[in-house]
Amino acid sequence: MRLKDWARSRNGARAVGVTATVAFFVLVEALIRAGLVNQFIVPLPSQIIASIPRIIAEEHVLDRFLQTMQEVLWASVMIAVVGISIGVLFFKFRGLRLACESWVGAMAAAPIVLLYPLFLVIFGRSATTIVMIGFVAGLAPVILKTIEGLAGTRAVLLNVGRSFKVTPSQQFWKILLPAALPSVFVGLRLGLIFAMINIVGVEFLINFGGLGQLINELAERYDLPGTYGAIGFVILTSMLFFDVTARIERWLRPVE
Amino acid sequence: MLNSDASAPAANALLAVEHVSKHFPTPEGVVTAVEDFSFSVKAGEFVSIIGPSGCGKSTLFNIIGGLLGGYEGRVSVDGATVSGTHPSIGMVFQEESTFPWRTVLDNVAFPLEIAGMDKAGRQERAAHFVALVGLQGFERRLPAELSGGMRQRVAIARTLASQPRILLMDEPFAALDEQTRLLLGDKVLQIQQELKQTTLLITHNLTEAVQLSDRVLVMTYRPGRLKRIVDIDLPHPRDSEVVSSEAFGHRVAEIWHDLREEASRGIAADEARVLRGGHRP
Amino acid sequence: MSAAAPLPVAALGIARLRLAIVLVVLAAWEALSASGLLFRDVIPSLLKIGAALGKLLASADFYGNLGVTAGEISVALLIGGTAGLAVGIALGANRFLSQAFESLLLYLGPTPKIIFFPVMIMWFGVGPGSKVAMGVLSCFFPVAISAAAGMRQIDRVLIRVGRSFRATTWQMVTKIYLHAMREPIINGVRLGLGVAIVGTLLAETKLSNRGLGYLVIQAYALFDMPKMYALVIVLFVLSIGVNVAIGRLGRGVGTK
Repeated sequence: MRLKDWARSRNGARAVGVTATVAFFVLVEALIRAGLVNQFIVPLPSQIIASIPRIIAEEHVLDRFLQTMQEVLWASVMIAVVGISIGVLFFKFRGLRLACESWVGAMAAAPIVLLYPLFLVIFGRSATTIVMIGFVAGLAPVILKTIEGLAGTRAVLLNVGRSFKVTPSQQFWKILLPAALPSVFVGLRLGLIFAMINIVGVEFLINFGGLGQLINELAERYDLPGTYGAIGFVILTSMLFFDVTARIERWLRPVE
Repeated sequence: MLNSDASAPAANALLAVEHVSKHFPTPEGVVTAVEDFSFSVKAGEFVSIIGPSGCGKSTLFNIIGGLLGGYEGRVSVDGATVSGTHPSIGMVFQEESTFPWRTVLDNVAFPLEIAGMDKAGRQERAAHFVALVGLQGFERRLPAELSGGMRQRVAIARTLASQPRILLMDEPFAALDEQTRLLLGDKVLQIQQELKQTTLLITHNLTEAVQLSDRVLVMTYRPGRLKRIVDIDLPHPRDSEVVSSEAFGHRVAEIWHDLREEASRGIAADEARVLRGGHRP
Repeated sequence: MSAAAPLPVAALGIARLRLAIVLVVLAAWEALSASGLLFRDVIPSLLKIGAALGKLLASADFYGNLGVTAGEISVALLIGGTAGLAVGIALGANRFLSQAFESLLLYLGPTPKIIFFPVMIMWFGVGPGSKVAMGVLSCFFPVAISAAAGMRQIDRVLIRVGRSFRATTWQMVTKIYLHAMREPIINGVRLGLGVAIVGTLLAETKLSNRGLGYLVIQAYALFDMPKMYALVIVLFVLSIGVNVAIGRLGRGVGTK
């Protein structure tokens, strides 16, 4: 393949993207070294990279990562159990759905994380506050997508069930739920991402828990390379989370 | 003959539909979809009901299958009135109706699972019916991997696996192209002959009706009434080659003569509805 | 067949059900408040919250802080939205750029933005500048991602029509792209505004001396629960209201 063709290909484009990102950091390094950017505001990229072993060893980044993930896990379990149950309940009771579905939609649009001072009062400065915020923040998409999936079951599939005289419980477990699963997974993934974002955010805000607190502490100590390094670590964690949930969703999702 | 009531079911009828009428309330008044419809199907017979779009064919399908209640008249199997869905009548739907999350084999085993058959038994029986529709080797595939024609064969095998006394199909080949439709028709006819399966097919396709049936019932456009019964005396075994025979052409022409009038009325009614500013049906 | 308007009888039933649910929730709240089961004042009586809400809405201080926050959010939406739109259109129009850089956008989109706040303080100071920066950072991503996706869903034939009349790039953008992308853009702005509100307010709760976020955290510090509830109610009503208004705008004017 000629160079020009390769550069136009998908892999070529990705390589250009990565190269451009690296080049950007090299440029920042050069600008700081040239004195054009104040290095007390932006640390040298090389210093940030050098700080990574230090924050891993001294700041126990891996422990903090696990702590954050544990909070995310608890919130996820609650989101899945409560969200899917409420979704099923709304689907079964049409009146309830007509009355409350738009409220759930509004909840999805509300700045729920701003409730954190309230949760602080109720649950104290603890992991419970963080998990509860994650739970409340990720609930709405699961409820909405569960209802959407159940209600979107094609009428002909329900008719097939009726023609074979399925019982109401068989109809739910063998037709409605499997038909709704792809949509439920879309909701769950959205819910988990919201939970993760808000959990790290609240850790930072209330200075408690895992990765979020680390950034707050390093910033308060005015450890510039450490702060930037830790931010990089959180970005990496979100990327990983985003990717892993996408893979799980694809893996669990039946072929359409 | 002393018995002058033509609509009374024949003594040896398996399925009998007597004086069935169905009315629907709509914003534009009550519409009579089916009116005083009577016919019967003998055991082992292949009967088609043909009619223009909007003549109430699907309403009739849903009534006989037991998905639609609130009608006048009677539907009976072997003399016993049936209401609601009934194990004697197996339905095949027009729309894509395979479960996308089940493999071919599990789709076909579905009615056996519902009936509470043990796993080994239902897998064996399902495998038999998968093979019957010519899909052996595809048991572990998901519907998304198959073509539309293959998926419709899965749906037919699923219904056959429940071993209904009457196979009731609503335009099962409507979404398929003409060539697939002809070949699939051969397959269905071959299975029907093999199992001596009593079959009632609802269709708007002339070729299909004549190719497959022993008798064709022509329906009028709204309200749907029985217009005429045409016996198809083409010899068995038949395959899709039959469509090029002279006798086939005569039968098609005979039915089209009746159907044409009804289809024209349907089109005229649609045009009138648009001019009135009403909704599409 | 879909009737144009829902049956009035059913609507009445839904309204009653809604009223009943609201009344039950309020009664439960009041009972919980009177029972004293939770810590004192965590669940204040509705009367106290109502009084605090009245006092808040009557105070000039509230409107001053509302103005500060609204100003920050507006500037953030203007900068972040415009930048997001430009980047989104560029990525949507060019397959190479999209393959090279869009994954960066998709990965950075779902990271918790608040962790950048220490850095924004260093860059833009402790005043409104850093809050605006948080808002910009928050709303850039959803707008850019929606615009890029919206660009790709434009009917190809419209673009071919434009080209056949030899429209310039600027004409293509203003006369074809922006019209054909109306819905995804409005949706992106709706999402973007939502997260800009969250980003700005969270930054205010972390470090500031003005704005509604500051009022919330001050109420927390003084343990003035009724005032905190009043503020949360006002914030939720405003955010949901703005969200609904933008949604209406998208549906109302767009359809011919």
